[in-house]
Amino acid sequence: MSAGRPQGRSLAPYALAGPFVIVFIIFVVVPLARAGVLALQQTYGPQAAEFVLFGNFAQLARDPLFWRAIANTLVFTAASVFIQLPLALGLAMLLNRPGLRGRGIYRLIFFSPQLMGMVFVATLASIVFEKRSGLLNQALHWAFGVSLDFPWLQTYVMPTLIITTLWMYVGFNMVYFLAALQNVDKSLLEAASIDGAGPWAKFRHVTLPAIRPVGSFVVLLSIIGSLQLFELPYVMLNATAGPANRGLTIVMYLYQSGFEVGDLGYASAIGWVLALMLVGFAIVQARLARTEV
Amino acid sequence: MRTAIESMLSSVSLGIGVILTLAIGSSLALLAWPARNSPGLEMWIFSPEHKLLYEPALEQRAAQDEPNVNMRVIGIPALKSRMMSGFFAGLPTADLIEIERQMAGQAFTGPIDSVGFTDLTDLIEREGLLEQINAPSFGPWTSRGRIFGLPHDVHPVLLAYRADIVEGAGIDVTQIETWDDFARVMRPLMADNDGDGNPDRYLLGLWETDADRMETLMLQGGGRFFDEQGQIAMDTDLNAQLLAKLVSWCVGPDRIAADVPDFTGAGNKLKLEGYAVAFVMPDWMCNIWRLQLPQLAGKVKVMPLPAWEPGGRRTSVWGGTMLGVPKTTQRFDESWALARDLYFSESIARELYTRNDIVTPIKLYWDDPMFDQPDAYFSGQAKGRMYVQQAPLIPARTSSPYYKQAMDRLRDAAVAVAEWSRSTRTYEYDAIQARCRNELARAEVAVKRQMDRNVFLEASP
Repeated sequence: MSAGRPQGRSLAPYALAGPFVIVFIIFVVVPLARAGVLALQQTYGPQAAEFVLFGNFAQLARDPLFWRAIANTLVFTAASVFIQLPLALGLAMLLNRPGLRGRGIYRLIFFSPQLMGMVFVATLASIVFEKRSGLLNQALHWAFGVSLDFPWLQTYVMPTLIITTLWMYVGFNMVYFLAALQNVDKSLLEAASIDGAGPWAKFRHVTLPAIRPVGSFVVLLSIIGSLQLFELPYVMLNATAGPANRGLTIVMYLYQSGFEVGDLGYASAIGWVLALMLVGFAIVQARLARTEV
Repeated sequence: MRTAIESMLSSVSLGIGVILTLAIGSSLALLAWPARNSPGLEMWIFSPEHKLLYEPALEQRAAQDEPNVNMRVIGIPALKSRMMSGFFAGLPTADLIEIERQMAGQAFTGPIDSVGFTDLTDLIEREGLLEQINAPSFGPWTSRGRIFGLPHDVHPVLLAYRADIVEGAGIDVTQIETWDDFARVMRPLMADNDGDGNPDRYLLGLWETDADRMETLMLQGGGRFFDEQGQIAMDTDLNAQLLAKLVSWCVGPDRIAADVPDFTGAGNKLKLEGYAVAFVMPDWMCNIWRLQLPQLAGKVKVMPLPAWEPGGRRTSVWGGTMLGVPKTTQRFDESWALARDLYFSESIARELYTRNDIVTPIKLYWDDPMFDQPDAYFSGQAKGRMYVQQAPLIPARTSSPYYKQAMDRLRDAAVAVAEWSRSTRTYEYDAIQARCRNELARAEVAVKRQMDRNVFLEASP
């Protein structure tokens, strides 16, 4: 046994892991640490900074705009989970019916808003929801005599954002659910039918448990995506939070604080709160998913 | 040690070796790459129209062996982001940067010493430029008493109206002196001829969500949002009176205003249809109409804004652009000379008006006969002269880093009052005014809360 061989073996793993570790430290660890320090400072860019310790977090606690952003974001998240996902599942079940012709075409149609991207969808939606000349108000006026001046983007900002994301994401989530439904064991469904189970009982006791892993994943994705909502209101409301901050979300407030006001410290504090919320939701969701199995 | 390195190398596969070699080689190549030093001055602007305006002068400079100028047109969001990144990090940006009013607030937010633009106050005074330029035009580019840019424009405001509709109805606009006159004299145009229970058209393009127009009209009436020391001053009797009047135009049975947005296809369609008869019109907007609404040529006229009270101011101000010299420039003297060449050039001042309908802030050029030329788009009016006559009378604007926040809160206040008025069917002016006062107080508290926690912002000495 030579003296050098064990030493060479012990260095090789470090050399192989080294590039990743260096990249990880530069692009993850250092920014995280810097963000932690920033959250304790008030800044005007990196050159002008004053330590305020937990002043940013104390200010957040009594900042009505921040609480408005939290409330708006949570409403949007709830709508994503409790309206968007059931619709996506329902649509997937319709498309999963045996003997349905043109399933691929329907799937493409429902999925197609995803192909355009959020900014295009937001731009189109802002035209659709326009007063007087907007397609929706024109249609509602023609069908039900609703005023052409119905203020979707003024008074009903959050419902408008929710409707737009339904258009964008129902088809996207439907694809996940459809894939899961197509993998449900047919023999179990047949056995349930032989045992006299009706459609609801089969869905409740066979289909739902079978698609639960995919469902949990989709719920988690929806929550994370909703908490990070930014581009949609930013584009639809012309780079503002809308009248009376009705479209203000947590990430939009972070952006305004950091890049419009220039207080990167305050923005960093908002970022940490958002990160904690994401972690909290992920833990709760994981526990719920585990207890349900 | 040697054995260890040999052993390590022997355990590295060919693929890993190639990746490592490429990584190390490309890093070294980047490090060795020489930084590009442009031979000319770097100038960033946001308006393609301004590029067309400056190009002949720059070509002339190049012919006289003056330093070359690399002029780049950069969209407003990208320009703002590049400029602020450079200012924040103390890195070079450009030798000259043109910015518009919305961008200025952020550039002036930090300690006065950290503002990324060079303080031009002493230079401007020393060279006697204060007397040559329309004084109120310095307002938006002044922070804590220091001037950081040369004003590009004045942007006085008139009232544009659909002459074909107004004169077709036999209405004589010379009877209009005040906004109350405007509402009374123009009222017959709001008839419901199609019998759907709503007026076929409204008198004014204005809505409670439109902070720009609200601000313009409130400035006209003497309202203001910050005092001379830069402190927030939204919660005043006068602001409440003005805001109440504007909101009352948008609600209830006496409503005269309609939501007709600028710069959108939907808004332009409504303008073509004559859904609103009159619009607040800064000089720069004339060219926007000319380009976007050519169908209205010969159908539009301008008149001084109706005053808030008899004998009151007949104009206001909306928008603005400045040219500043970032502190990081290595060639301040050449940059300043170029700034002076561009902003004090008579030929550019002429082009500014003939191409873009914008009145120069250089008072010396206001006598130019070009302002007296009839303008076919505006039904043959000498509208240039009408704007020039109002230019010295525009209201002063104080600058604040929190200007955008104040405008956002002003809009929130207007929306809150208008929605309260509609939901409770409360349309009496006094009740609306009282509500405005409450909402303005809330707005002021919100902005003050943000200002108070800025440890860098000092009042002017």
